[in-house]
Amino acid sequence: MLARTRPSHRRPAAIAAAVGATILLLSACNLIGGEPQELTVLEWGGYEIEDFWTDFQEANPEVAVEFEFGTSDADILGLMQAGSPADVFHFYTGWQEFYVDEGLVAEIDTSKLTNWDAVPAEMQALGQVDGKQYYIPWDWGYSSILYNTDEVPEVTSWDVLFNEDYAGHVSMWDDGPGAVTVSSYIHGYDETAVTDEQLADIEAEWTAQKPLNIHYWDSEYENLCPEVISGDIWVAYAWQGCFSAALAEGVPVAYANPEEGRNSWVGLYGISADADSPELALEFLDMKLAELTCENLVTQYYYGCPRTDVMEGITDEFIIEVLSIDDPTVLERTNFTPIITAEQRDAWTQMWTRVKAN
Amino acid sequence: MLGRRGALRYLAVPPYAWLGLFFVLPLVLVIAISLRPETGPIDFDDPWQLSLMQYQIVLETPAYLRLLGISILMAATVAATATLLAFPVAYFLTFRARERATFYLVLLLIPFATSYLLRVMAWRLMLGQEGAINSFLQFVGLTSEPLDLLLYSRAAVVLTLIYVWIPFAALPIYAAMQRIDRGHLEAAADLGAGPWSRFMRVTVPLALPGALAAFFMVFIPTVGEYVTPSLVGGTEGIMYGNLIQDFFTSAANWALGSAFSVFMLVVTLVLVVVALRLVDVRRVAT
Repeated sequence: MLARTRPSHRRPAAIAAAVGATILLLSACNLIGGEPQELTVLEWGGYEIEDFWTDFQEANPEVAVEFEFGTSDADILGLMQAGSPADVFHFYTGWQEFYVDEGLVAEIDTSKLTNWDAVPAEMQALGQVDGKQYYIPWDWGYSSILYNTDEVPEVTSWDVLFNEDYAGHVSMWDDGPGAVTVSSYIHGYDETAVTDEQLADIEAEWTAQKPLNIHYWDSEYENLCPEVISGDIWVAYAWQGCFSAALAEGVPVAYANPEEGRNSWVGLYGISADADSPELALEFLDMKLAELTCENLVTQYYYGCPRTDVMEGITDEFIIEVLSIDDPTVLERTNFTPIITAEQRDAWTQMWTRVKAN
Repeated sequence: MLGRRGALRYLAVPPYAWLGLFFVLPLVLVIAISLRPETGPIDFDDPWQLSLMQYQIVLETPAYLRLLGISILMAATVAATATLLAFPVAYFLTFRARERATFYLVLLLIPFATSYLLRVMAWRLMLGQEGAINSFLQFVGLTSEPLDLLLYSRAAVVLTLIYVWIPFAALPIYAAMQRIDRGHLEAAADLGAGPWSRFMRVTVPLALPGALAAFFMVFIPTVGEYVTPSLVGGTEGIMYGNLIQDFFTSAANWALGSAFSVFMLVVTLVLVVVALRLVDVRRVAT
């Protein structure tokens, strides 16, 4: 039989004291350690791989990095507006102003970024709104025409997407602003000031083009690349990642340099205005720009990185061809994605849904 | 102490609460959002303004109405075909399978053990240029080269959806057939009715409530279908549900997407009510 212990009034007090001390200790640890040791990143699927944040991981092995995923720029904006717990979010050029207008993004103190000087001023400027730095640029690449050279002669214009000779073997990106961009290049419209009449013409020409498509693609590696590689798609609006994937598979493809110019896009990272760990978030952004992380982006996944020194150090002929690194005129022939307004975004996406519904 | 009725009432609370929280409340929210005038994701801190602007866009755009019409026709085709094909399956399970009925029923439900996406992706392999169907057609000499029509077409969407729905459609018909009193069939036989006559004049009318339930069980969700058209429909097979998805994702226009959803819901409900009025199930079944 267990011996009964005498009830003690001291025991509850002792327990309370122990709990209090533990709480104080934990609080002190938290204060000493600064911020909570976890970070949430709102990302695109595939970007969570450790190669893409290896420097941060090495510098902060104790930090748990959690990833949430968005499927499009609109989705990511929607998630942020709906109160995503993300400290850091990733989106693409054209959408910079929306986060600032909605008060969703914090201004970045670039003096705390140790790798900032490695980024050229033109790239830095892409992350600015009203002269303030809200974002850091990271991945960049092109949009152009990817075509099968066995089936299609040299492509010199974006209008190949409308060529009826390739009916059933064309694939356009499922994106209203992307369609407006292509039409603007072909017809010489000012993309930032497309009129209602021009938009009506754009809608009519994409409606007429619709039967030429095998499908509209919405995921580069799910429903574009596999069919470029299988030979079903001959002509497509594409990013250079798919070009490199098809080349690596030995498919006879080329990436056009249209006379109207390629399109160029840049991925940007921002820090949430409600970030629980703003200092960690800032360090995450800084480490994104660190040399090894940047290099991984280029050498392993064939995207451009914003560090000039990394890009200049690339010797792999394949990557040089994919990113046109050795072409001194490529920037002159490249159209950077402009910032659009919410009204434009809405009008262009509605136009695209009408095209799809027709 | 609670009586039996009182206890049953309390047992009903959790499912009603669940439905209220996860069905009625979201539906009310969608309706409320559809009545907001702004575009883009909704900021719930903003003051609520009521507007029919989104419905005006839905109703005044011929392309949207046309696509809804096409989606309804596709859904009706899928529902009718799946129900017709499910009927012999249910008949076999009820009247022919005997003691093996449970085994066959399990076989029928086996596809549900795999992911819906996987089953639809399997159809891509079947319908593709180098897929099983094209290979077979070429092997038997019916075609000399692969048919482009099979994949990325409206037909591909209909075909895939029929396959997906047949097992579902068989269940309510099976349940209805199990309730058929065998005495009716024996009486019909005694009165000189042959097998075909017994089937058409006894089995079909008595199983009709199950068949109608199967039809609507397939029709209602198919009108708003978006996954299958995304995977096998191409540009031709786009359905109304794809536009709703677009408005919530790539267009980030929640108010318009909500108006699309509510409009589709109302049209579908009206069609169901009209159909049920036209076909008086109780009269047919008696």
